[in-house]
Amino acid sequence: MRDAYVIGAGQSSFGSFPEETYLSLFESAFESTLNSVEGELPTEVIDEAHLGTLGVGGRQIGLSGPAVTEHIGLHGVPTTRVENACAASGYAFRQAVTAVRSGMVDVALAGGYEVMTDTSADGTKWWLGVSGETEWERISGTTFAGVYAQMASAHLEEYDTTVEDLSRVAVKNHANGAKNPKAHLGFECSLEDAVSAPSVADPLNLYHCCPTTDGASAVLVASEEVAREYGEELIRVAGAGASSGRVGLFQRGTLTSIPASVRAGEAAYEEAGIGPENLDFAEVHDCFAIAELLAYEDLGFCERGEAGRLLREGVTDPDGDLPTNTSGGLKSKGHPIGATGTGQIVEAFEQFRGEAHVQTDRPRYGLTHNVGGSGGGVTVHVFEREEAA
Amino acid sequence: MRGIDAGGIYLPRFRLSTEETAAAWGHADARGIDRKTVPAADEDALTMAVAAAERALESASLERSAIELVAMATTTPPMAEGDFLSRFVRMLALPEDVAGSVSTQHTAAGGEAFARALDADGPALVVAADCPEGDPADADHPLGAGAAAFVIDDEAVVPVRDIAWYSDETPGIRFRPRGEREIDSLDVTTYERSAVREAVTEAVTALEVDASEATAAALHQRDRKFPYRVAGDLPLSNEAVAAGTVVDRIGDAGAATVPIGLLAVLAEADEGESTVGGFFGGGTAVALELEGGFPIAGIDDLDGEEAIGYTEYLRKRGYVVEGEVAGGGANVSLPNWQGSLDQRYRLIAGECPDCGGVTFPPRGACQECHSRVEFERIEASRTGTIRALTVIGQGGAPPEFAELQQREGAYAVAIVALAAGDGEATLPAQLADVDPEAVAVGDTVRATIRRIYTQEGVPRYGVKFRSEG
Repeated sequence: MRDAYVIGAGQSSFGSFPEETYLSLFESAFESTLNSVEGELPTEVIDEAHLGTLGVGGRQIGLSGPAVTEHIGLHGVPTTRVENACAASGYAFRQAVTAVRSGMVDVALAGGYEVMTDTSADGTKWWLGVSGETEWERISGTTFAGVYAQMASAHLEEYDTTVEDLSRVAVKNHANGAKNPKAHLGFECSLEDAVSAPSVADPLNLYHCCPTTDGASAVLVASEEVAREYGEELIRVAGAGASSGRVGLFQRGTLTSIPASVRAGEAAYEEAGIGPENLDFAEVHDCFAIAELLAYEDLGFCERGEAGRLLREGVTDPDGDLPTNTSGGLKSKGHPIGATGTGQIVEAFEQFRGEAHVQTDRPRYGLTHNVGGSGGGVTVHVFEREEAA
Repeated sequence: MRGIDAGGIYLPRFRLSTEETAAAWGHADARGIDRKTVPAADEDALTMAVAAAERALESASLERSAIELVAMATTTPPMAEGDFLSRFVRMLALPEDVAGSVSTQHTAAGGEAFARALDADGPALVVAADCPEGDPADADHPLGAGAAAFVIDDEAVVPVRDIAWYSDETPGIRFRPRGEREIDSLDVTTYERSAVREAVTEAVTALEVDASEATAAALHQRDRKFPYRVAGDLPLSNEAVAAGTVVDRIGDAGAATVPIGLLAVLAEADEGESTVGGFFGGGTAVALELEGGFPIAGIDDLDGEEAIGYTEYLRKRGYVVEGEVAGGGANVSLPNWQGSLDQRYRLIAGECPDCGGVTFPPRGACQECHSRVEFERIEASRTGTIRALTVIGQGGAPPEFAELQQREGAYAVAIVALAAGDGEATLPAQLADVDPEAVAVGDTVRATIRRIYTQEGVPRYGVKFRSEG
């Protein structure tokens, strides 16, 4: 099996753009992606595309992938739409990596898009719960905030985690996102703001929840041969891990961990031949503040129950040992469902290039972690910057 | 002799004082009623009937599988036409071949149900449940809600020694045109009082027992004074009438009031004491006479005092809220819902024959060992523990629950663990009748069946949990 490399990554601005469509947003992301490639990449070299979206709002439910690639001029390119809820484009990226590694294609486009803010308030509520377990979880009257709130309640009960720790996640990620011009909620927030915000689903308040966002992102995955044509330093996909889990939280046997994250992380570390101690930065799936804390534990950044301490000690701050969500995370950068997974890889790409808005110090290894729903599907990717020979 | 072997009362948790009603409207048409019961937004005649029947069946000496007849009474079936009896049977896991009847259309329906059960052979279940509605400006003022259930059998602890009927056309007393929700009355005072008194007097007098020997009487009661007026031509003492009067504490619960009054009497009656019941509704009176008494499950509900204010009352009862579920992105089809009723009503889980793990709902691979197996069906305990908890605030509910939230306010959703076989079944469910701030992870909860939501015009029912502290 040959290696796959990231040769370009870009995104549209994330935010609320009711005048945009999923097509125009992806067009913007694609342009940004092409611009990120060192040198001029003729679009004819793109062999196939894997595009993730949940399809919020019920717009082009069928065949939105081909609609996008035709729209951006990738005429005739085989395109697959990937649906794995909030992990849709994490999985789209995995598909692109698989295609390149297999030798079947030399360049694959992975990406995602979602338009979430042009729907009525009532209409939006329908869509926010569609990736929860439908027959029991949703019918108990919860949306996603409620399910993550249940995890938070269990974590607070079992460990020393506090509601203030949840708020600290927001403070950290907003501080990072405030520096990211493409972030949806690009402003700082104080701990006091993040503690005193109105309740959404107890114990989660507004600052413990990511926004609904419009946006698109894209990543170009290529073989080593192609990659060498478009850059001195290569960004290798060192480890590709993914795992499924029961869609309903109540079916998993644990309320304080996302087992699919654990499995996906282990697989990615194993393939990369490294452990969490080798990481220089991470983008983790912080759709809700508790999700970032669970990610610390599930991905081995710390022991079980220690996530709050890790955060308080500043380990995941930009100047800490493992800067996490330097992009602002889903919390501040925004969470356009289908665009989030490859959006995380955009941040990783910029970190390796030294072009990030909150830049870490010459990173070698970075990780991205993308969760679908409350843990029904997870991808974890480990990237390595290979210095020029 | 055939009669009553066990009984159960169920009253909704909350109470509205007549003072609150009077403060809201400047007056209250609820003479002598101190407070009345208020059904929660997810309760109706069906859920209350099930709750009362569960209590009666739990205190009965026979198994529910022995029940051969169900006789139900209500003026407020949730659907004017549609499944009612069949849902009741399914919710309680009664035998599929049970015979049944639903008496409705007037407040003497409980008497009709008794007559049906007493005329039959074999163990029977009589249930009266009601939650009448009226114009909030006046007719609603006395209206409460509740349910009473009776297990009927031969050689009963409390024999029903006789039952008698009287019918005469006396329209205009209490009526509701087809398609209407609210009851009405012409309020021709003297005519109404005379008509009810005459009908009940004729029915009671027709009993083959001497009413003057009765130590208690549960008579038609729309307010506190009414049963005494009804008894005016009968040889019944005021003490006897008082013993069977509950309307002052629960309000006018339609077809359920006299049945609840009868159980209140039976809970206090000594061996050999005689009790008279006098139902009236729609021009028909039904009288019966019972002997003795026994402890009644749920009797403490009569002492409930948890008060709510008038605005909350209007919301809970749905007088000011009408919700319609708009089209959406997630759906459980009705056939799929029907396929899960064993889980939604009876908490049937699956035990893995390989590893012993418990899977809920019992479909697909085992949740523990992930093998594809034929599960053993096991019924999870109806009492369990909260493992995780959230509170969905106003505006945060999925559309299916928007109306519930408007009516009930913030609600709690828990992941509940229930003992099942050698393991536990876990499921997400709403907590009913509880201040969401007053529950916590680790609390004990008990299953109850409530209306979950309505889609495409069809109400769907399933399990929720009530806090046991």
